[in-house]
Amino acid sequence: MTADFRALTPDDIAALRAIVGETAILYGDADRLAPYRSDESGHGHGANPDVVLKPCSTDQVSRIAAYCNRHRIPMTPRGAGSGLAGGAIPLYGGVVLSFERMSSILEIDVENMVAVVEPGVITNDLCQRVGEDGLFYAGYPMSVQSSSIGGNVACNAGGAKVIKYGATAAHVLGLEVVLASGEVLQLGGKRRKDSSGYSLLRLMVGSEGTLGLITKITLRLIPQPGPSADLLVPFRSTEDAVAAFPKAIMAAPDMPAAVEFIDRLSMCHAMAYMGTTIPLADNADAFLIIQVEAKDADALFDVYRPVGEACLEAGALEVYVADTLWASERIWGLRRNCLEALRVIDPTVEGGDFVVPSTAIPAMMTFIRALADEHGVEIPCAGHVADGNIHPHPLKPEDRSDDEWNGQRHELLSRIAMKAVEYGGAVSGEHGVGFLKNDILAQSKGDELRAMKAIKDALDPHGILNPGKLFSN
Amino acid sequence: MKRILVLVKQVPTSESVRLNEETGTMIRTGTDAAMNPLDLHAVEAAVRIAEASDQAIAITALSMGPPQAASALREALSLGCDEGILLSDPAFAGADTWATAYTLVRGIRTLGDVDLILCGERATDGETGQVGPMVAAMLEWPVLTYASRLEVCGDELQVGRAIEGGMEQAACPLPAVVCVLRDLNDPRLPTLSGKIRAHEAALRILGASDIEADSAHLGLGGSPTRVVNVTYPSFRRRAELLDARQDGIEAAIVRMQRFLGIEETGA
Repeated sequence: MTADFRALTPDDIAALRAIVGETAILYGDADRLAPYRSDESGHGHGANPDVVLKPCSTDQVSRIAAYCNRHRIPMTPRGAGSGLAGGAIPLYGGVVLSFERMSSILEIDVENMVAVVEPGVITNDLCQRVGEDGLFYAGYPMSVQSSSIGGNVACNAGGAKVIKYGATAAHVLGLEVVLASGEVLQLGGKRRKDSSGYSLLRLMVGSEGTLGLITKITLRLIPQPGPSADLLVPFRSTEDAVAAFPKAIMAAPDMPAAVEFIDRLSMCHAMAYMGTTIPLADNADAFLIIQVEAKDADALFDVYRPVGEACLEAGALEVYVADTLWASERIWGLRRNCLEALRVIDPTVEGGDFVVPSTAIPAMMTFIRALADEHGVEIPCAGHVADGNIHPHPLKPEDRSDDEWNGQRHELLSRIAMKAVEYGGAVSGEHGVGFLKNDILAQSKGDELRAMKAIKDALDPHGILNPGKLFSN
Repeated sequence: MKRILVLVKQVPTSESVRLNEETGTMIRTGTDAAMNPLDLHAVEAAVRIAEASDQAIAITALSMGPPQAASALREALSLGCDEGILLSDPAFAGADTWATAYTLVRGIRTLGDVDLILCGERATDGETGQVGPMVAAMLEWPVLTYASRLEVCGDELQVGRAIEGGMEQAACPLPAVVCVLRDLNDPRLPTLSGKIRAHEAALRILGASDIEADSAHLGLGGSPTRVVNVTYPSFRRRAELLDARQDGIEAAIVRMQRFLGIEETGA
């Protein structure tokens, strides 16, 4: 704990208990606090909270914030804990503010096509609920079944469908935010545009809990898209794959919903994990998954055919088509399980999240492979090629000790991220910075980081909101 | 061998199953439908036999169903079948397994020469596993069910049958019917060229008169099965919290055994 933060006293616990009630506070029981010490960023990362609070209203969140601000107690907000950058880890102990009880879908406004939700709503639950009204929530992180909307907003989560629908920020119309002082702000609302001054709404999205605590979210909905088809397309090289996908996009009657990338190593591990094989996998160095949508099933063929033909003209080895549930599951199962497959080999595996202009992806892959050879490691890569967002995953070689590898992996991921910055990219595309990428954020942002820090200091002068994230304390 | 016939069935996807409570039959319109999952393995087996053969073998996919069942046949074509035939007629509606087998056999006789019939062991909607063996019986052909291995050696079939407690090796002469299991193979993904071919292919649609069927044996009226009642199973979940730290491990074990209905062995 830094000098700025004060250790919790029995009086603090009593005061916080008085705010949330006896059943919504965890304190002093290491077993029950344990689930709140880490997230999905990898084994080995974690820190113990002193107390976990589970507020059930904005008023409670406001009173907790005001108390912690007054007493210099650090607060770490937590959604579903599915983050990959350590954003929900309470580095300085203190309070973990879990939004698990604030998980109601408050309103589906069909006429205005918006949903109003509490932050703890699981993304998939919202998708299913709005589907009953023929509507669609297009924020679609890969962790759709486990992540919470609040966490998605805090990290400006991306996912596979950003190319067509945009990242989470594109869907957030309004936020209710509790500032460190306990003051409650209503930002935006059920309106589609707003040019009235600074957009604090946009500022809060992706701020990773360092500027305010999100207690209510108004989301843009769209009509449910029609049926989809998925193309799995093997290419001889990454260059071929990256050159082909803009041609495929141009050939499509409508923007594809997803264009995903899997390199040879990731595909091999995913096929082994899923117990399946793809023909021609041995000859291919890169794979694309292209998802297209149509108005109805009859129109689907005319949408995927030109896309597939454009891929073949651009040198694809083959085009596999999934317009049925079983085939689609086979293809997406490989993509979705890329990370799980790697965890079988290296349970501590941790991934990067760099983003570059997509034309720089072949150069990045060449750089990553040279780096892997130089260090005698495997670095499988997969990601969202049309967004230029790739996740490299260095795998721990058997000959490295845990300590040795932790340092080496961080260095490898940092070098890859900084190379991405050289190519006009950024160190994180969709996972956020958390604390794992603090150092490279500082290296890559320079003056911009100083401006960010000035905003942080203005809104959270005592630095109690998610300390140690984005900025090193 | 010159021709393999694959029987395919369009089934509702498991999320969209609804029953007509009066007749006890499945409502087949307005639901999401797909090819019966085990039939994919039958199609794959047929395509592999044809690919491995040095003589030309034609693969025909045959289905009985409403007009929308054509999409299951197109799927079979996209996976490598050469021809699709749909037996479709309002007179066929509501058929049980016997009437279905009768209709399929009339279709098969209309087609003429067939050396091998492959089908999925059962369909995910009816779950009877009766149609394949019934077709064989009506044709007076041998049938091998539960096939998880399949090899064609000249005019003989060698089949590994998954039976309780092991694997049975069986062989029989052609022509024959084989009902296949999931373990038999890993169905391939359709290719774009396969999809284009399937999309452009003309399907043959045959009605009751085309297959010279006796109307007394068709559809609901020709079905000896009578569904007397349809009930939905009820789920009851029980839970009991055991705290071994508080009650002691012995007491917790005794309670768990009682909960699970397991007698103490005294070992």
